[in-house]
Amino acid sequence: MFEIRNIAFSYGRSQVLRDVSFMVSPGEAVSVVGANGAGKTTLLRILATLAVPDSGTVMSDGQDALARPLRYRRQIGYMPERIALYDDMTVKEFLVYRALLKGEPAKRVRRRTSEAAEICRVTDCLRTPIRRLSAGIVKRVALADALLLRPRVLLLDDFLAGLDSGMRTIAGEILSSAAAFSSVIVTGHEVADFARWTTRILVLKDGVISAEVDTAGHDATVLCERVGAALEGGGR
Amino acid sequence: MSPVRVTFVRTVDRLRFQFSTAFATGVFLAVSAVLFAFGLERAEGGRLTLPAIWAAAVSPVLPALAAFLAMDVWSDERQTGRIDMLLTAAVRERDYVLGKFLGSWALLMGAVALFLVTSLVLLWRLAPAALANATLGDFVSAALILALQGALWCAVSVAASAAFFHAAAAAVASIMVTVVLPRGLWAAMTAWSDVGRTAFGEMPLDAHAVDFASGLVSSGVLVSYLVLTAAFLFLSGKAVACYRMVGRGARSLRASTAFVAFLTVVFVAMAMLLAFRLDVKLDMPMAGSSTAFSPRTRNVLAEVGGDLGVTCFMRRSDPRFRPTGRFLRQLTQEAASTGASRVSVRFVDPLWDLGMAERLVRRGVEEGSLVFERGRRLAVLSLRDGCSERACASTIRRLMTPPTRRNVYWTTGHGESSFDVYGAFGMSDIARNLAQEGYRNKPIDLSADKPVPADCALVVVSGARHDFSRAELGRLEAYLHSGGRLLVLLSVPLEGLSSVLASWGVRLGDAPRKAGKTLTGTDVVVSDFAEHEISAPLKGDRIVLENPLSFSPSAAAESGAGADRITFTPVASSGGVALAAAAERGAGAGSDLAVRPTRIVAVGDASFAMNGPLAARANANRDFFLNCIAFLSGTDASGSSGTGEGVLTSKMDRVARRRHLLWSAAIVPSAAALLLVMLAMVRRRRS
Repeated sequence: MFEIRNIAFSYGRSQVLRDVSFMVSPGEAVSVVGANGAGKTTLLRILATLAVPDSGTVMSDGQDALARPLRYRRQIGYMPERIALYDDMTVKEFLVYRALLKGEPAKRVRRRTSEAAEICRVTDCLRTPIRRLSAGIVKRVALADALLLRPRVLLLDDFLAGLDSGMRTIAGEILSSAAAFSSVIVTGHEVADFARWTTRILVLKDGVISAEVDTAGHDATVLCERVGAALEGGGR
Repeated sequence: MSPVRVTFVRTVDRLRFQFSTAFATGVFLAVSAVLFAFGLERAEGGRLTLPAIWAAAVSPVLPALAAFLAMDVWSDERQTGRIDMLLTAAVRERDYVLGKFLGSWALLMGAVALFLVTSLVLLWRLAPAALANATLGDFVSAALILALQGALWCAVSVAASAAFFHAAAAAVASIMVTVVLPRGLWAAMTAWSDVGRTAFGEMPLDAHAVDFASGLVSSGVLVSYLVLTAAFLFLSGKAVACYRMVGRGARSLRASTAFVAFLTVVFVAMAMLLAFRLDVKLDMPMAGSSTAFSPRTRNVLAEVGGDLGVTCFMRRSDPRFRPTGRFLRQLTQEAASTGASRVSVRFVDPLWDLGMAERLVRRGVEEGSLVFERGRRLAVLSLRDGCSERACASTIRRLMTPPTRRNVYWTTGHGESSFDVYGAFGMSDIARNLAQEGYRNKPIDLSADKPVPADCALVVVSGARHDFSRAELGRLEAYLHSGGRLLVLLSVPLEGLSSVLASWGVRLGDAPRKAGKTLTGTDVVVSDFAEHEISAPLKGDRIVLENPLSFSPSAAAESGAGADRITFTPVASSGGVALAAAAERGAGAGSDLAVRPTRIVAVGDASFAMNGPLAARANANRDFFLNCIAFLSGTDASGSSGTGEGVLTSKMDRVARRRHLLWSAAIVPSAAALLLVMLAMVRRRRS
């Protein structure tokens, strides 16, 4: 169980997150939506140990994740909003490098990279230099990197941004595949896609989770309207 | 695979195939080669070893290459945002820092190794004489100090890269810390601090390179470099960790990091103070190094038995300043190793230390001198010919012994070279050396109806062209019979003088037809020295005699018995022919019978100790002459400042130097850079 309790964060005097709390079960994919500047990226950066919260805890399987960051980082896979890979490497070289860096034994690296490439559907371009890839493929390579060691928690920041509809479908399918072994937290604005591929949609507004919408058994249009209303100012 | 190794491999791989690395390596090779070529030219005939010149050429360029290689190891990650990807992996910041540091350091040392190989190959092809006294092993300590300096500069550059967002800013900051700050502090210290200026001879970073490369290893310096490198790497790790410390919640983390950084600075300062306090200096034996002092100098230092002050009165811009400073550091170390004396050195620059300079000038000391002080006594050694171990030892001995001066009488009136003529054919240079050794040079006219004075230590006949009269020969014979000492330098056979020599066991012959090695066709290179007081210290050296006459034992040699027995020794030979000989009557019997043994030394060339030949310093002519004088006057001053092993001789003429410069500073760097660019292009094409 991945649990976020009372997370607050501020840049100087500007408070971005006031009291964010939610839980994600294993195998569950949760999306966090909100207006620009609502604090989605900041929240994920906190969860990825790239920022220190003013208060609050992040519990992973009952243990305080931020107190033991190194052990916690072994359990997470993070894909940042701004993706930058090593242009001079091929996809395979990059994935092997990342797997080795994350501490995977050399004899298991090939298997791990093959699995991740297969899940993210980048097997065809393993030998292609990263600089020649399109933005959508680069995003999938970055996702393959995040998935390399089958993390317990997968953090995807603005995952679907900039992708066309076909690519978004593929990305959604990858996301639901990843949810088979990870707790997935994904941020973005694509409510209709999230309605298809995630189990819950959390609405982040004014530094708190203002609404929580269960996607099961609801029509995407209805969900979009409910989330839209929550973003506009409605309740749960 | 550990994260350090993965990061190291990645860093090397990335840097190796960058065009900018190829460009930087080419520039590094070119600039180092220029410095090396000029260093080689300046050090010609001096005591600086080849590894020292090489290290001194590389050392100033290293900070720039380190800054260039390591400038973007972190700043690039930050600028592109890849740092997010790195910092969310389960890897400690210090592992990343260490891997990136080792990667850039490995490439830096690769460039240094490339420069070493190209330098040695070019010298081997163009100036093999320069490599005569150097072995590859001699470059080990040079490589050690460059590795230490390179590690520190890389650590600083990695820290700068971690602290700055832009690679260019990181490079500038790195250069500021590694070049501008230390050299600026040094310049400020020499400008404003009397204590600092007089305590240090040269910029410590340069001095470290030269000293280590000469085999003068200091544990304090070694520990300091290691501590500073570790400290900068630690601070780099903290700088990377600071990337996470965003938000109000990280305030306490930021404060604790700042406190840790402060503690690091305090620890570094204390560790360095302790390292220099407990400094252990090692003198590693190296071929061609002048660090090993002669037994005579060691004896002289052991006899000092107390404090000895040495003041180097010279401008810092003087080309002799660096070798002199280095020699004095060795002298200080040697004195400390004897345990009987303590040498303290201070440097007085007449441009800066006006007060001290004025006091020295008032005491009659001229600029470009070493002043040795012990108690209230003072002895001055002029450094017109550089700083030789022999001259220093003689000066220190003069300082300790009562001022008794021995007179050397130079014959006149037969076309001899005079000791007070300063031209190429005069002997003023060697006469000055004699004065430094405690002799007083005087002319003597044997044609005057007076015997050789009683205060005469020895008589020198320096290249007489006209024969001596019967009366003069008689006075000379009388002097020799009373235990006199005679040095004869002859280029033309003179009948009268030859007969005197023959009666004392030395027969003068003609110029030998075949006399071994020659440089110009008319001169003879003599390297075959007998086990004699004059020649034994010169083993391994060479003297050059111009068209010399030969000597052989006459009938008088080995003829007598007891105190009348004359021994003949061919002190210097070439091709089995004696070109200089020593004869002694009464050797070994003198101490019992209170008879002063007669000694004669004859050299078959009158010009070998003239000012002109002595100016070509790549021979041991000066030492040979001074050893002759020491033998004749009965002092223990025989020695060798060395030529064959200690003095650098590349034998490169102007054309050879230009060719060396062209190859080392233009062709090789361009080829190396081109090769690296091609490798990078092949790699890019493959991927």
